[in-house]
Amino acid sequence: MHLAALAWRGLVARRLRTGLTVLGVALGVAVVAGTLLANQAASEAVERAAAQLMGRAELRVRAFDPVGFSPRAITTLRQIPAVLGAAAVAERRLTVSTLPDPRKEDVFSLLLAIGVDAKDEAAIRTYDLEAGAFLTPDSPTDALVNAAWARANGLGLGDQLILTGHREDVPPVRIVGLLGDLGVGALSHGNVLVMHRSTLTTAFEVPAPVTYVDLQLAPGRVEDVQNALDRELTEPFIVETAADAARQLGRAQAGFAGISFVFGLIALLVGAFLVANTLAMTVTERTREIGLLRAAGATRGQVRGLFLRQGIVIGLIGSVLGTALGIGLAALAIGFLRSTRAVLVTGLPLNPLALGMALLMGVAVTAAASTIPAIGASRVSPLDALRSSRQPGRGLWARLRWIVVLEALVLVIGAALYPLERGEFSPLAVVGALAILVAGTGATALLLQPLARMVGRPFEWFFGAEGMLGRANLGRDRARTGLTVGALIVALASVVALGTITESARATADRWVGSILPGGYAIRLGLPVEVDALRSDFEATAGAAVASPIVEFPAVARQGEAPAQEASLAGIDPNVFEATGSLIFVHGDRTTAFRALRDGGAVLVPEPFAGDEMGVGSIVWLSLPGEEEQAFTVAGVIAYTLPARSADGAILLSLADAAERFGATRSSLWTFVPQDGITEGAFQSAVAGKAKSYAGEAISARELASDLGRSIDRLIGLFDVLALLAVVIAALGVLNTLAVGVVERAREIAILRSHGMTIGQVQAMVVSEAAIMGAVGGIAAVATGLLIAWAIVGGSTPRDFGAGLALPWPLLGSVVLIGIGVASLAGLYPARLAARTPITRSIQHFE
Amino acid sequence: MTVILEAHNLVKSYPLGGRSVEALRGVSLSVSKGEFVAIMGSSGSGKSTMLHLLGGLDRPTSGEVVIDGVNVSQLNDEQATLTRRDKTGFVFQFFNLIPLLNVAENVALPFLIAGESLGQHRQRVQELLALVGLEDKAAHRPDQLSAGEQQRVALARALAPEPAILLADEPTGNLDYTTGTEILDLIWDSCDRLGQTIVLVTHDARAAAYADRVLVVRDGSIREEIVLGRRRDHEARALIARLAALGL
Repeated sequence: MHLAALAWRGLVARRLRTGLTVLGVALGVAVVAGTLLANQAASEAVERAAAQLMGRAELRVRAFDPVGFSPRAITTLRQIPAVLGAAAVAERRLTVSTLPDPRKEDVFSLLLAIGVDAKDEAAIRTYDLEAGAFLTPDSPTDALVNAAWARANGLGLGDQLILTGHREDVPPVRIVGLLGDLGVGALSHGNVLVMHRSTLTTAFEVPAPVTYVDLQLAPGRVEDVQNALDRELTEPFIVETAADAARQLGRAQAGFAGISFVFGLIALLVGAFLVANTLAMTVTERTREIGLLRAAGATRGQVRGLFLRQGIVIGLIGSVLGTALGIGLAALAIGFLRSTRAVLVTGLPLNPLALGMALLMGVAVTAAASTIPAIGASRVSPLDALRSSRQPGRGLWARLRWIVVLEALVLVIGAALYPLERGEFSPLAVVGALAILVAGTGATALLLQPLARMVGRPFEWFFGAEGMLGRANLGRDRARTGLTVGALIVALASVVALGTITESARATADRWVGSILPGGYAIRLGLPVEVDALRSDFEATAGAAVASPIVEFPAVARQGEAPAQEASLAGIDPNVFEATGSLIFVHGDRTTAFRALRDGGAVLVPEPFAGDEMGVGSIVWLSLPGEEEQAFTVAGVIAYTLPARSADGAILLSLADAAERFGATRSSLWTFVPQDGITEGAFQSAVAGKAKSYAGEAISARELASDLGRSIDRLIGLFDVLALLAVVIAALGVLNTLAVGVVERAREIAILRSHGMTIGQVQAMVVSEAAIMGAVGGIAAVATGLLIAWAIVGGSTPRDFGAGLALPWPLLGSVVLIGIGVASLAGLYPARLAARTPITRSIQHFE
Repeated sequence: MTVILEAHNLVKSYPLGGRSVEALRGVSLSVSKGEFVAIMGSSGSGKSTMLHLLGGLDRPTSGEVVIDGVNVSQLNDEQATLTRRDKTGFVFQFFNLIPLLNVAENVALPFLIAGESLGQHRQRVQELLALVGLEDKAAHRPDQLSAGEQQRVALARALAPEPAILLADEPTGNLDYTTGTEILDLIWDSCDRLGQTIVLVTHDARAAAYADRVLVVRDGSIREEIVLGRRRDHEARALIARLAALGL
């Protein structure tokens, strides 16, 4: 036998502890592997989606004007030399319904209709079809829908859909193909209908505009074609390349990658806490044994090696297990993401690099975590073997120092293997958040005693001596308890931070929606229609005090000497917006700004557009492409505006200016203000009825806000699960620490039993200890998590979190209860162990 | 005199390497109220096992123990624990104070376990600390006390609930001569002045000489009963001579 065999025997001798630690590492690695694979699935999905969306096209020529390209422009595009193929795509929103069937409930759904020319389209793009076939030129009423949408609505191949608001002589379309979740099938969150452009054009009084044309080019002729476009295409346009499309898709998914990366790190961090703490406990427990080894001639290096080997064995087994578990976790996460459509994902990618990375991170972090106790063990003096008892409670600061180093290391390993800039948070924000986490953990470890005294008071009242002893036990080995509670804080704080950020995002969404929708109700039409044609009918909507159009149109904006940029303009009725208290002004006086808008020549600009340079009184030059620039004075800077194609949102001007200066008189968005006294439900159904008669979509601020909230919740749900896995790892740490504590205190427990403490009281004492640990962890986690959320929310732009920090009170309370509950559950086994302590044998035992 | 502790034909056997080893082989005894009885024997004679059975810490394989009229051998763990809480007090060799509690709290431990507060019993705790000469160290932690002082606290704790019987297992085994004598004096004092019934387990003839009666245990049985009577001088020579004659 070699000395090294002691490392293995040490692990086997403490099977439960070893098993729990391995499980902790495995769960941590599983979260890392799971998130890496899920991210991989998301990245692959983006690449595939971009490839499918653009197909063989190298350029997408997008019409600047909402009325789309004219047939002449499309012909011009086809005739440009080096253009091998051109696929024109028309888009509009419409409502579809199923044929009346007494056996089934009717389906009404608002879809994005995409009109394509079957032959041209097939030459440019290959559709990802789950079932059925693509459109054929000779069947004009064929259509494709998203497979998941069809399933959700009980539809399948061969079923027919009526286009609401169509001309009388147009037959229903028939579903001939079911689209997968990538490419065209993923547009508008799967609410998409692909049909013949000719049918879409002829089905309605107002034809759907051709919004873009995808061009397949001869090799190496991109530049030539771009030059030819500038020369020959007389209608305003924007050119996008395939790379632009992929980048745009990728940007939408970046948030997911960033947040999941942070959660992977957190789970690993908690696992590292567990390893460091467990091995440190073993060192304390085996001080006498190590001293004997040293007295017998074992070198410091040999002793260090024993513990490092133990750590590496735990790390290896845990990481292999965790990688396997991670595959399962990734499959679940991908399934969840796919079902919620929160993030675009492919099937489970078994990427060896991602799995290898998770394995490596697990082993590296465990090895790093085991160096702390290994060095501690090597410092044990031979004299320690002769001392009568261990001296717990020392070395808190020394261990905390190591923990900071360990956490920094986790961060460095994570950053090295998975670049931080992939996330939507800046690396500084991530490092800052983790620094707060470390500081919160450290502060709690240092303040454990007063905190436990305070938090433990109710337990003392409730449990009496058991509560008091349970609380006092926490102070026995502050370093050990500090680390255990620390892991719990890290895990729970991430739940708090996540919940608070979500709540703040939700509050911001509420504020945003509330401020831009006067009256709280609106109708979005499939296409823009002349305002005067609809005004009288919309104003006659039952219960409506006001029906006010919003005229949206694209333009070009320039300020000072800066180059002109694409901008979206929206004409509004200043009287309606002012009377309903809409819009939040960041700069400028509300009354003055609306008066200026009424007087003409003034605009309200969104905050991101204004930047630092633009303020009230600044001049903005606005124009339609090819037309003369007109000067507008900035009358106010607003926090939120209507969403538009330009990233900053719409610049607002008066309806009169929109009509007189730009000739914009068509609107696809109408807002409705209810009369006083009408009930919410009655008005909502009146607006919905009106929307239906125009094949439009009824929108209410409340629903819009709750939709936004739901989409936030769907994504956050996954992260909550990841954070809760970290809580489970931390709970394993609580179990481990308490079990060791019970074994160490066997004699003391026997004394309590001999003085009349019942088994139930002993169990209550241990569970109280666990519960107090959980309560301290929960309370500290609330404080730490709020601090992290405050840092992230405070450090973000007002546009993202304009409503400031919104506190999710029920969650904050729940986190403390979860802390108490999880820790108490983890305390059940040690409590059972304590209850089984043999009195007579333990009393005779001496150290 | 009233009998406060009785043992009838106590047998205790343990499994060891696939066979059964008898630590006690049919021990019977009775202790009267206010009596000081010492149980003597060499290591492995079964004296500690006997004390654990007499105090209700362990259950006999057969036979019964009756403490103050309660047959503890027939009780379940919960009932035995509550009986122990009410009727017995223990002093062990290794003091066994709870390091997390201060001196006063350690003394009040039986009350705390019973769900009462230190405040309710402060006067009693003060009296006990005065009895053991530690009234000025009530707020000290166990690790701030000497070994002798710790054992005094353990004695005060054992006496706190006014138990029917105080069981002491080698209470001087970990103390020097002078400190050990002080502890024995205190134990004897509690018996003589307060009428506390004492059962002391020891292998030290000098400690056993404080007792009114000495039971000599060998190979799991009581081999001899030596009656010394209540004596203030605790003279051990006669006892030592007797024990020598018995080959101890």
